[in-house]
Amino acid sequence: MSTVSNVEPFKDGFIEALCPELILFAGLILLIIVPNLGKGTVRIPGTQKRVMWLLGGDRFKLTSNPRLPAWIATVTLGAAFVQTILSFQDGVDRTAIVTASGKQLMLVNGFSRVFELIFFGALTLAAFASMNRLEVRGVGPKLSTDDLYNNRRQADFYILMLTCGLGMSVVALAQDLFVLFIGLELASFSTYVLVAFYKETEAGTEAGMKYFIVGSVASGVGLYGLSMLYLWAGSLQFDALASQFIINGTDPLPLIAMGFVIVGFGFKVSAAPFHFAAPDAYAGASSPIAGILATASKAMGIIGLLRMLLIVAAPEASEDGTVWLTLLGVLALVTMTWGNIAALGSTNPKRMLAYSSVAHAGYMLAAITAIGAWNWDDSLAGDGGESAVAVLTALIFHLVVLVAFKLGAFLVLSILESDGDASRLSSLGGLAKREPFLAVAMFIFMISLAGVPPLAGFVSKLLVIMGIVKVAVGQMGAEIMAGGDFGLGDVHWVWWLAFAMVINSAISMYYYLRIGIVMFFDEAEEGRTGPLPRGWQVRFAVLACLMATLFMGVASDKLLEICEVAAQSLNYGWN
Amino acid sequence: MTDWISIPLVAFPLIASMVLLAFVSNGNDRMRQRLVGPIRMACLIFSLVMLTITTGMFFQYFGDVSWMNIAFNDYEYRTTYTWIETLGINWSVGLDALSFPMVWLTTFLLPVTIIATWNEKSGATYFPLLLMMGGALIGVFVSLDLFMFYVFWELTLIPMFFLILKWGGKDRKYASQKFFIYTFTASVIMLLGLITLYFLQDPYSLPSAGTMTGRSFSIPELIDSARAGNVGDSWYLGAQMQKILFVMLMIGFLVKLPAVPFHTWLPDAHVQAPTGGSMLLAGVMLKMGAYGMFRLPISLFPHALYHFQLALMIIGMVSLVWGAIVCLGQTNLKKMVAYSSVSHMGVILIGIATMQPMGWAAALFMMFAHGIISPMLFAVCGAFKHHYHSMEIGAMRGMAKHSPWLATSMMFAWMASLGLPLLAGFVAEIMMLIALWHMISLDGWSIWWMVGPALVLALTAAYYLWSMQRTIFEGGEAGQPPENMIGKPIPDISDSEKFAMLIMAFFTILFGIMPWIGLDMMDDWTKQIFEGLIVFVGKGGA
Repeated sequence: MSTVSNVEPFKDGFIEALCPELILFAGLILLIIVPNLGKGTVRIPGTQKRVMWLLGGDRFKLTSNPRLPAWIATVTLGAAFVQTILSFQDGVDRTAIVTASGKQLMLVNGFSRVFELIFFGALTLAAFASMNRLEVRGVGPKLSTDDLYNNRRQADFYILMLTCGLGMSVVALAQDLFVLFIGLELASFSTYVLVAFYKETEAGTEAGMKYFIVGSVASGVGLYGLSMLYLWAGSLQFDALASQFIINGTDPLPLIAMGFVIVGFGFKVSAAPFHFAAPDAYAGASSPIAGILATASKAMGIIGLLRMLLIVAAPEASEDGTVWLTLLGVLALVTMTWGNIAALGSTNPKRMLAYSSVAHAGYMLAAITAIGAWNWDDSLAGDGGESAVAVLTALIFHLVVLVAFKLGAFLVLSILESDGDASRLSSLGGLAKREPFLAVAMFIFMISLAGVPPLAGFVSKLLVIMGIVKVAVGQMGAEIMAGGDFGLGDVHWVWWLAFAMVINSAISMYYYLRIGIVMFFDEAEEGRTGPLPRGWQVRFAVLACLMATLFMGVASDKLLEICEVAAQSLNYGWN
Repeated sequence: MTDWISIPLVAFPLIASMVLLAFVSNGNDRMRQRLVGPIRMACLIFSLVMLTITTGMFFQYFGDVSWMNIAFNDYEYRTTYTWIETLGINWSVGLDALSFPMVWLTTFLLPVTIIATWNEKSGATYFPLLLMMGGALIGVFVSLDLFMFYVFWELTLIPMFFLILKWGGKDRKYASQKFFIYTFTASVIMLLGLITLYFLQDPYSLPSAGTMTGRSFSIPELIDSARAGNVGDSWYLGAQMQKILFVMLMIGFLVKLPAVPFHTWLPDAHVQAPTGGSMLLAGVMLKMGAYGMFRLPISLFPHALYHFQLALMIIGMVSLVWGAIVCLGQTNLKKMVAYSSVSHMGVILIGIATMQPMGWAAALFMMFAHGIISPMLFAVCGAFKHHYHSMEIGAMRGMAKHSPWLATSMMFAWMASLGLPLLAGFVAEIMMLIALWHMISLDGWSIWWMVGPALVLALTAAYYLWSMQRTIFEGGEAGQPPENMIGKPIPDISDSEKFAMLIMAFFTILFGIMPWIGLDMMDDWTKQIFEGLIVFVGKGGA
């Protein structure tokens, strides 16, 4: 692996390393300025002369177009996405952003690049699809003040999207608790407002409020944990913390701190029992935003957990794995089971998807548990971290493809939402007659979520289960070939997490299938038999998601390699 | 070169049906009405091409294949392409004496089903779904890679789910969900077993091992290493692990088969499914369970098989007897036929549990014979429902008077299913009985094990004859039409249904009189797979 090249801020190589983020930043500035460009003048002090300075006043025709912010945001996010993809072409270089005194603040490597891909991909699709969601009341100078204010929301909405993306990618890059927390809060605050942005319904405001309150409490608890880590180690740097953990990781202080940190990030990934705000938030937010919460925001929480649990706390790994192993295993089991059971009973499709997202969080926590257990038995392990890389690859792959089918499902609901509402199962009724394409797409997203081959959801679930089994079985295969006789008692207990995942997938089948049945075989609701609202953008986004879901199911080789590189670059604990 | 077989048999039916479905579902109702004819014809022609190809394969038009002498774990038309290199996944297909009869059966049933249900409503989506079903089923039988096997295994659920859901009876929603969830639950447990099996290899020891994981999904390579590991006193994977994996895999296969007590999805699915769905479900899909047993657990875990022999025998006996007893109490024609399938699948399990080469050959031949007879049973039920709008036994009497064609077909199918000599089902049943006698006399089992099959012979005759008596005969001179049709002319079955019945009847007779056409290769194959175990069985197993 290539060595890390250090770059100080605004010096040579800075732009190359942080190109996607800088694109976002430029887009952000454009978004703030462009809608304000107009025929405004300013009087030169002391004279009567007025000069054109282009800010304020009557807007130009182009800049007054309420659709403009959406296009700027989409193009910006899309450019950042493309830039990230291009950076994979000739191998990802590892660049660290360091302070003058040599402390690492951010690290650009395969890991951060893949997560940027997730964030920008999800946000691009959501921004593009949102063009059909936010109401536009006419174009031109003859609008009432109310309408102008309403159009003004457009810019606000997309600015928040960009700050959200910026915050998320900072989390992916962070090598320092402080930077991590800044990024986390930037993204979190953007999502709080975005959730509340759906002001057409009462549920939107309420959801935003709930999400904000619970979210800030969780952030506060997490921050408290981070500050305790600082108190204990005297440093905010990940590598300094990690080396401290090797020396005295069994102190009570860091353990308590880790507990608080798990609470903070557990909320972000909506792990039980910190998930209570999630169904309300998902149900209240407009669907594309709910999709962001379920994919990009969750990926961000997973990064936090990976950084804290695997980099900071993993070097403590002993024979039985890391200190947090049992705790996280229990959390994983409770989360996946709770999510699935709760989803069985929910009749609101968005709440159902929220609970299914909780269940998926459980699968991801199970994967992280398995990573913590990889070194569990010296006699059977000794594969040089190969198993840990396999699980991590699976986890990252899962997060990437989740964008395709989870967000896709929310986008389909988004179209129904603009048709009226999508808060009852029956609002999906008759979709197959109203617009077959959407019904088929939704059905494919559903069975992909359930993990039916040959879709992307199957491959990702298979990989996670494979990773867990690989860890649990270790080198037992070779031992058995040499004549050993082992049973299930000799397999690490994380194998049972894979078993729980399998049973949970079967449970989840019920509510995913129910959606399909309603779409294809129930009649549409009273007065909702006509064609759905038009809007090619959101349908294009759904099509993109559908293609990705199908394609990643049968041709996942390339993406797997990328994810493997990403997994290998997060290699603190195991080599 | 014959490396093209997976294209017409698997890839094309799947892709073509998906394209057709996408095309049709985006049109309006009028276009769908107009397209029924061309789409039905295209599906029929294509399935006939597939049948021609598989028949040609049997008669050695494509490559010089000696079907009677295929060594165990050796495959004809073997083709392998790399699919996901990092995980050791290949697109690997091949045929042997186990899979070829099933593939031929699928390609045979596809056109027959299309003809038998020629006038099914919403044909523009129905026929492509049947084609898709065929492609997925053949995919299960030809795949020599565990990943690919599992993908097709689950893929078969989707068209069947829609077939039941859209064309099914009154309780179709309940039935289709139950069918999907039941079999899905079982197969994910099987999947966990497959993955555990995958990781219990010596890393980087098999030729097609993945670059990242060092393990291989290749079935032939796994079987080779299992056979190498099962010699002498040592067992492949060790005794404990074999038993665990055996149970996990068998859960998937027993539910699919289905065996009592995992059979409850089957009557619901069958009663609600449309005729075409039932024909493929009973004809081929149930056999996936038995096929899987032979392909994986039996080939890989002989020790566990021997260990669980008694359990399998009990499950088989219970399925056989329970299925027959429940049949006696049915008033619904289709439900009775569905439970008779459970009973016949018990024959397969008993055949396996005898641990005799002849018993295994009986199981293989039962898979094949039941695959021809049971679609005919369901075609009869479907025609009954279609023309008389009722499925109740006794809803009409004296059918022989006003619907001679249907009465004859019903009688023939019922007789074939109860094991009349010179029809295909008889061959399998008599072989199973002989194998059971062998087991009792050679391995010292109790004679009481014969009671079950003997009882069932009588029970089967009883429920079939009784239902025939109440529907075909009785009812006085003019018969007694169903209540909803009194006063109307009572139609006989349509020409396409007659044609399909005749074809199925012809092959039932053909394989009843000349069973060696298929039996020889099965017999040879089971002898060979058995030779690998004989050392092991000789030393007394566990």
